[in-house]
Amino acid sequence: MNIDLSEEALEFGRLAKRALEAAGGDELAQIAEREPDRRESLVGPVLAELGAWQLDPRDSADELEAAAALCRSAGYWAVSYPVAERLCRPSDLDADGLVVVADPAPAAAVGGLDRRWAAVTLDGRRSMATARPMAASPRRSAFVVELDLESVDDAGASDVPLGLVLPCWTLLGMLDRAVELARSYVREREQFGQPLATFQGVQFQLTEAEVERVGLEELAKYALWSIEAGRHEALDDALALRLAAVEAAERVLRVAHQLHGAIGFCDETVLSWVSRQSVPLRRLPLGLSGTRAELTRRLGRRGLTGIFG
Amino acid sequence: MDFDMGDEVAALRLELRALIDEHIPPDFLGAFTDDPADLETAQRFCRLLADRGLLCMAWPESWGGRGASAWEQTAVREEMWAHHEPRGAQYMGVNWVGPTLMRHGTPEQQQLHLPAIARGEVIWCQGFSEPNSGSDLASLQTAARRDGDEWRVSGQKIWTSYATMAQWCFLLARTSKEERKQQGLTIFLVPMSAPGIEVRPIASMIGPHHLNEVFFDDVRVTEADVLGPVGEGWKVVQEVLAFERVGIARYARCERLLQWAPSALGDQWEALPEELRSRWAQMLIHARRARLLAYRVVDAQHRGQVRPGDAAAYRIAVTTLDQESAEVLVDIVGLAVLAGDDALRFKRAVEDHWRYSVSATVASGSIEIQRILLARALLGAS
Repeated sequence: MNIDLSEEALEFGRLAKRALEAAGGDELAQIAEREPDRRESLVGPVLAELGAWQLDPRDSADELEAAAALCRSAGYWAVSYPVAERLCRPSDLDADGLVVVADPAPAAAVGGLDRRWAAVTLDGRRSMATARPMAASPRRSAFVVELDLESVDDAGASDVPLGLVLPCWTLLGMLDRAVELARSYVREREQFGQPLATFQGVQFQLTEAEVERVGLEELAKYALWSIEAGRHEALDDALALRLAAVEAAERVLRVAHQLHGAIGFCDETVLSWVSRQSVPLRRLPLGLSGTRAELTRRLGRRGLTGIFG
Repeated sequence: MDFDMGDEVAALRLELRALIDEHIPPDFLGAFTDDPADLETAQRFCRLLADRGLLCMAWPESWGGRGASAWEQTAVREEMWAHHEPRGAQYMGVNWVGPTLMRHGTPEQQQLHLPAIARGEVIWCQGFSEPNSGSDLASLQTAARRDGDEWRVSGQKIWTSYATMAQWCFLLARTSKEERKQQGLTIFLVPMSAPGIEVRPIASMIGPHHLNEVFFDDVRVTEADVLGPVGEGWKVVQEVLAFERVGIARYARCERLLQWAPSALGDQWEALPEELRSRWAQMLIHARRARLLAYRVVDAQHRGQVRPGDAAAYRIAVTTLDQESAEVLVDIVGLAVLAGDDALRFKRAVEDHWRYSVSATVASGSIEIQRILLARALLGAS
């Protein structure tokens, strides 16, 4: 048993976090929304310098873990860039990245980027995807655009778990940040003459968020290992992770918003940006109900692999 | 990363399951039922495990164990709890009374108690909670006063599991009043046969023999029965509670019952409402999540790290899972016509799980206490 990412992967994640902070940190998402044309140039070169695009998560466990750590750091800063999706690029297609899509309206948060995208459905049908122009401002759309698909083949079975799992690591990074922001806010903010953190009702809400966050962290590591180990249940594990991630995001962000009060909606707080950047990750390719229905259908009567399954 | 416990642990699981198959009746739902045969079954099973070196395999070799790895110990906890704890009350002696005696006991106490626990011959109960001291355990009133070379204990304990059948009690009593209520507490190892002890069972929905009151009326205890320094029992109790918090693998029974449901229902499984099967799938994820959170605590402990926040997060997740999975399983059972041995066993096991799960967020430190501990880890002392 070894239940942690490798030290090299963790170090790579820390380096990426510092590099993204130096490049603008929390402001990256704000600038991208204000100046959508800079979406690529704000983040792409920083990650290129780090060697992110040399990583091949399909090649080795070490690179897969480094990719996961990088996604988590990107999530922490809520960077408005499809880091996980670019890391998932297929090696045998002429594409810069891969997105998992679902019928009837395939979409992804790839608006405003001059990149070639491959798409894969949950049942492994691959396509080349052309992003339509953004129909709404980034503030409204979070860069989500509809995709036109041109069918390629049915060989994407191994793309799907990876394409589901890495974005969950991005979402995990966002939840790390949301809990950190809530912790910090309730220590500082005083009402009735004392910090909010001294009220047990506030403390208990925070613990609910933390249990969701650490539980998601463990499931994310497990699903990553399932890919690393080439287990044939990797897709079940990826869908299970995705369902838990969407559920955790709902709970953690609800708590973080509640504890921030009205200031949490405002552009001046980081939480507001983290919260809105999380939306595409939570809704695409399928939201809570869609993911749950898909997982239930797949599990049938065999259940999830575990001690007794 | 590697979430596979390895071949040795897999072989151990198979060995334990084979022994359970052979020696535990398929209808067994724990040692503490109205049928005395269940207790006898558990006692026999403990001796069998002891003979094979499986009862105390986590213990060091010097005390008859085999120094099992943290993951072997985890597998034993999982297999036993999943199969309705066929060791009966022995898990208390094995999991924390024994290890606590190894750390704090005198050589004489160790010689008296450890071999008996290792042989599976003795049942312990835990004299902690009192009518007015539940979550606020340190406020307890049961008092031990010196009487020459001896001690005299008077007071009342409550919620004491297995007290009707235990030979020994791990008792926490007040020996002096100090500035802080955590000071002046002492642990006594009290024979339950001592004159002045009266046990009264409390009928409850979680099953007979689980809950009792224990009255101590001027009970004579010798100096040799004091565990650790007088007045410093609270530190020892903190250790005990830490052992206990990771001691029960509740998620394993939840997972086993959830995985059993489709085969128990047979063709009726597909006829269940999709919404219910979705809840079932979600519970399987929550069971996996609780299991992985337990592994996070075990892994940290194994590396000598103490992370109270993680232990509390695990306890919150696993006790909530216990109750939520019980509700889903009861819903599943309610929508099926169950006939045949396997289906009826499943139904009885679910019914037992549901009744017992009501205690999950209360026993061994309530979920509120776990939230306080986790909040403390997150926010410091504020």
